[in-house]
Amino acid sequence: MLIDLKTLCEELPALKGRDVSEVRDLLAGLGFPVDGTEAVQDTWVLEVDITANRGDVQSQRGMARDLAARLDQELAPITVTALKQGEALRPIRLEAVACSHYATAILDLPAGAGTPDEAKAFLARMGAGAKDLAAVDASNVLLHRYGHPTHAFDADKVEGELSVRWAQAGEKLVTLDGLTRELTAQDLVIADAAGPIALAGVMGGDSTKVTAETRTVLLESAWFDPRVVRAMARRHGLHTDASHRFGRGADPVMAGVARDLLAQTLQQWAGATLRSAWTVGDARLPQKSIALTREVLQRIAGEEILLADASAILRRLGCRVEGTPGLLTVMAPTWRHDLAIPEDLAEEVLRLRGYDRIPSTLPPMQGEPLALSADYRHRRRISRRLAQAGFHQCVTLGFVAPDMDAAVADPENPSSGRTLVNPLGREYSVMRSSLIPSLLEVAGRNFAQGMREVRLFEIAPTYRSTPKGPEESPSLAIFWGGARGGEDPLSRQSPLDLEGQLFLHGVLRDLGVRKEVHARRPPVWNGVAEAEALSRSWCVEVPLAEIPVEPERVIQAFAAFSRFPAMERDLSLLVDLDLGYGSLEAAVRAALAGVGELRDVRCVDVFRHKSLPEGRQAWLLRLKFQADDRTLRGEEVDGWVQRALDAATGLGAALRA
Amino acid sequence: MDSALLPAEAADAASQFDALAAGCHDLDSLMRLKGAYLGREGSHAAGLMELLKTAPKDQKRELGAAINGLKNHWETVLRTRQSELEEARKRRAAQAAGWDPDLPPPMPNRGSLHPLNRLVDRLVEVFRPLGFHVEEGPEAENEVNNFDGLNIPEDHPARGSADTFYFEAHPELLLRTHTSPVQVRVLQRLAHQLDTLGGIRFLAPGRVYRKDEIDPTHSPMFHQVEGMLVGKGIGMHHLKGTLAFAMKGLFGPGAEVRFRPSYFPFVEPGCEVDVKCPLCGGSGCRVCKGSGWVEILGAGLVHPNVLSQAGIDPTVWSGFAFGMGVERMAMMVSQTPDLRLFFENDQRFLSTMGGLD
Repeated sequence: MLIDLKTLCEELPALKGRDVSEVRDLLAGLGFPVDGTEAVQDTWVLEVDITANRGDVQSQRGMARDLAARLDQELAPITVTALKQGEALRPIRLEAVACSHYATAILDLPAGAGTPDEAKAFLARMGAGAKDLAAVDASNVLLHRYGHPTHAFDADKVEGELSVRWAQAGEKLVTLDGLTRELTAQDLVIADAAGPIALAGVMGGDSTKVTAETRTVLLESAWFDPRVVRAMARRHGLHTDASHRFGRGADPVMAGVARDLLAQTLQQWAGATLRSAWTVGDARLPQKSIALTREVLQRIAGEEILLADASAILRRLGCRVEGTPGLLTVMAPTWRHDLAIPEDLAEEVLRLRGYDRIPSTLPPMQGEPLALSADYRHRRRISRRLAQAGFHQCVTLGFVAPDMDAAVADPENPSSGRTLVNPLGREYSVMRSSLIPSLLEVAGRNFAQGMREVRLFEIAPTYRSTPKGPEESPSLAIFWGGARGGEDPLSRQSPLDLEGQLFLHGVLRDLGVRKEVHARRPPVWNGVAEAEALSRSWCVEVPLAEIPVEPERVIQAFAAFSRFPAMERDLSLLVDLDLGYGSLEAAVRAALAGVGELRDVRCVDVFRHKSLPEGRQAWLLRLKFQADDRTLRGEEVDGWVQRALDAATGLGAALRA
Repeated sequence: MDSALLPAEAADAASQFDALAAGCHDLDSLMRLKGAYLGREGSHAAGLMELLKTAPKDQKRELGAAINGLKNHWETVLRTRQSELEEARKRRAAQAAGWDPDLPPPMPNRGSLHPLNRLVDRLVEVFRPLGFHVEEGPEAENEVNNFDGLNIPEDHPARGSADTFYFEAHPELLLRTHTSPVQVRVLQRLAHQLDTLGGIRFLAPGRVYRKDEIDPTHSPMFHQVEGMLVGKGIGMHHLKGTLAFAMKGLFGPGAEVRFRPSYFPFVEPGCEVDVKCPLCGGSGCRVCKGSGWVEILGAGLVHPNVLSQAGIDPTVWSGFAFGMGVERMAMMVSQTPDLRLFFENDQRFLSTMGGLD
């Protein structure tokens, strides 16, 4: 909202002589931070942020009123002669409770009724262009100055009786912006005998608008229900100065005053003559008193504030306050629709005293603190481990493009249940079922930037369609591609094209992931960057729930370990190239199933060479034996090794000479 | 030795010996030199011995002594030179086997935690001494938890499809627009045990979504950290004390906080909280736009409606809540010029900005 310092000072003379920065700090202290200040001719224009609950400060006078309360100073009086209730020249019927009160007047305007330069300059400072039509500009000036929206109709274009009523669905209205609006039964309109002539509190109609030819105006200064106005503004996409003010709650008592001011302004500017002014409805809205106790005020403030002091502050804000020992009974002023509960009043007291005065104390420890959740610690442990293992943690958006999602499609998890109805664009329309596509995009970009090796991971929720709606579960995805090493004399550079999978498995086993989980080649889709480099990389995704959680025990239960020497025996085996290592190891383990002394079976070398028989490779299988209670004898180990060898032979392996 | 006794040729050879020995830079050439001077046949020594045989009798004794002296000298020089060369060979062998310590060493793998996650973890750490634990909630939320339970009016613009993402197949579900629905979930879950627990205090970090186009300061997905404390007799002073403590933990002992009145539907009173600019210490800089203060979070006392809707009696219980934007804080602290960098995940950015814990 724009505030004109000169006008502000006219409304609050005590501000005169204060520097613009001082006013800026005052406003910020009241909860209205100033985003910018601009020197305009002999004044300053301040761009002030106001919160959604404060419709009452959306004018020069409204802001001055809050400042006056803060400074404990008087506002300048509004100089206006209250118009007497005259003859209702046209009947006005209020048919909806959403309009409780309608003040009007009919005035004759002389030809060429323009706008004084001073008013034009003020409107320009408010960012509003003057139309040089006295009735229009005067209404606008009042809106910015006093915050109450008014409207002027060309009375000669209004047919017959007026009513404020709900529109009939399908009725049409051409608004001042020239657009034809199709109305609904939730739209409140001002209508004449021919139909709607204005969207109440939002915008006037084109057919009755004031032009240079207008000779008689019918003024409107009313009160409309904020909820109705907000709904209309939203429905029609019409966010106007009027709808902003009515939508946040106008002051019903101000309706009559604004009508008087508008009539007076037209008389002063253009020599308009009043035919009659009259009001229908009741300006009083039902109001409830609010009780503020000493205890509540003290709890919120964190210190004793005398109720007498609180009462004085609230009175400065326009509240009516009755004090009894320990209790204030408060009626909020008609312009403060935001004051409804004791906490609101306490806030006002603190706000006007200045939030700086609130003391600072640590809260008492009530109840026992809880441990950090296992899920949080689990994620943190995995992230740190992976970062230490050389992977970079990524954060990517939760939604992906449909073709990215399709690249990891799972028929059991259709995208339809995870699709947004109003995405930013197609490329952000599906909540992802997998982190892999996002990670691949990141990897592709990194390769494109010339990274030789790309190591990434992300931990984030993935989505699954269910009849009840999308369900989330956290997942870990890891990507590894490019070439490792080559950065120093001791680490030979080697492409990860083939070896990467095993390296990645090492990372997974380190995290405790089951060995059945295999890294795979990334799925690529049309349009992903560096598809070729990606296709030579490796990736894997594991639900976080499948990664073992670090045990709760700080120190694990003692497990005895053997102090007797271990014996290692190597078997160099020639095997078929298509024999899976998993089946060989399983067969060896099965053959030694009852041998508690078997501590490990692992392949420690793979040899492939043209000197070997065609279709065969050599595996060096290392068996490790150890007993808990004795030193093993060579003969017993020989026996076990023979059983292992027999099992291997059963799979077509042969001991290599 | 008196070389005058020797023939000129032999005297000449003898005089060159020391220089020749010094000129041998490997053991092979030294052995060749040894052969040439001291070998059994054809060497200078052998020649001198021949000379001795044919020398007149009266000179034999003197010449013999001279020749012996010469041979002894050569042998000594050869031994010395040999051990020098052997020493040098050992040294070279050692050099060839080891590595120059100034060569670039192979570095242990070093990845990084994402700066946003680091900051979240840090915030958790900072609030931990006050007993805050971590609570989490789903990103796909319902309107009740995201709006209704937080006292957000039914016609609030944030509920519109221009601000909030909704699911096509489930119109009642949306992507949470803040981490505040975790407040609602936790309050509802703990309402009936509140007397036993004595109070609630937690942080709720998480990802949230708003329909903002991607630009240097906006992203449709970003992170928040919500904090909440519910107990008895909780007021604005407790909020201030807590945040002052936390900001000191985050920015150092000189950190100060400032409250400004503000409005959020789910708190009353509400405030914006500024922290004394961590970059200039309050003297005014580009980051704080010269004001010495940076806005860091929104907060307030939990609105009684939020408590009562969760089944908690607001006349008995009270509390405070605060919420901060992680990206915004990260950008401020690191002076990262563009929010999009956090989601691009360029490894160069991550290695510089992230760390290991």
